[in-house]
Formats: sequence, structure tokens, C-alpha cells
Amino acid sequence: MKRDRTDAIFSALADPTRRQVIRALSQQGPSTATGLAANLPVTRQAVTKHLSALADAGLVTATRKGREKLYQISPRPLTDAVSWMADLGARWDERLAALRDHVAGFRRR
Amino acid sequence: MQTVERAITIPAPPEDVWPAVSRSDDLSTWFGAEVELDARPGGRGVFRWPDGTERQAVVEAVEPGRRLSFRWLPFQRTPEGEALTVPSTRVEITLDAVPEGTLVRVVEQPAFSLPATLQTRAAATALAAIEA
Repeated sequence: MKRDRTDAIFSALADPTRRQVIRALSQQGPSTATGLAANLPVTRQAVTKHLSALADAGLVTATRKGREKLYQISPRPLTDAVSWMADLGARWDERLAALRDHVAGFRRR
Repeated sequence: MQTVERAITIPAPPEDVWPAVSRSDDLSTWFGAEVELDARPGGRGVFRWPDGTERQAVVEAVEPGRRLSFRWLPFQRTPEGEALTVPSTRVEITLDAVPEGTLVRVVEQPAFSLPATLQTRAAATALAAIEA
């Protein structure tokens, strides 16, 4: 089944540990799994797994650094998720205005 | 901004607004989609947009004249007839009697919760916006 990009982003962010990883990356800047695990209550293996899920969602990108990979945040998908929510709000603004008109029209009849 | 919250005041009492938010025919006039909604807890909703997009929902709670909540199923049918997974969100519509008529509030939020607090950098700001 196809997957909406926003869905992949929200699903990736639904996991609290993955949000911790994102947060740590945003605070530490580009880091290796080892560097991140040092500041997180999880093993390096777990961090690596989460990083790969985040990379699948496009939330982080990896570049090779010696034997390890250097991960960094890719802000675009996060911005996309925010604008998805903004669109959602705009749709409700339109709907509620239409609801008001509908009820007003109904009362006039 | 993890939660989308919108409100409008309608110059009519809640009993006049309730049918507009709970009956399929009425919903279809303002929702932007053709709506078939069984407004009972566990009831199904089918929403068909003019472009061919179709989404389904399940009604979670109903307090007649006061509150309706439903959850979008995390799938939609695209105009091309393909299945697409989308973010699952919950919609809650509440009606409150106010002197001017009815305050209609809509809250739509992803069906997961993010904890608060974040600072610094563009990505962190964006994540904070989602979490707020």
C-alpha cells in the first residue's frame, strides 16, 4: 500500500524514544549512533535502529564517517508536518464558515 | 500546533446546530465532501470528496446536542483509486450555548501525543510547533 509522506513522518515521531533521538540530534548537532547513545538511556544498537526508522521517514540523513555513520536532522519533513497541520486548520476554517452559512440558511427557510 | 483547534459562533441555539453537525445530508452541504455518517458510538462514516478521494471514520462518542467525536481511519482512497495510508487523527466537535447562539469548537489532533518542551535550531522549533 502506498504511504503518504506525512503519515510516515507522524508514525516515525509517534515513538517517544525516536523523538528523544531527534531532540538529542537537534541539541548535539550531527552525531554518530555512539555519540547519541552516550546521552540517551538506550543502547547504541537501539539508537541505530531508531535512526534507521527516522532515515526511512526522511527525518534524518546519514553520511559515512570512518566506520560509523554521521547522522543529522533533515528539517524539511518536520516543516512539512507542520504545514500539513496548518492546512488542516485552514480546511476547518472554511468548513466552519460553511456550517455557519448552512445553519443561517436553514433558519431563514 | 500538534492540535488543530478552531471555533466559530453561530447565531442559533445548539439544538438547531446539532442536526447540521450530525446528519449526513446536512454535513454534506458544508463539509466539502459527500458524507454518510452513522452518528452513534461505533458508527461508520464515509466521506467522498469531489476529486474522488474517499476517507472513512468511526464515531467514538456522541452526546446529542453537545458533542460528536470520530476518528479518521488511517487510510484513504486516492482519486486514482489507490489505497494510501495517511495520519490517523481524531476530530471532536463540541457545541456550547453562549448568549450569541452556539459556540462550535473543533479539535483535530493526531492520534498520538508528543510531550512538551523543546528549544533551539530550526528542526527543534518545528518539532516544538508540532508538540505545542
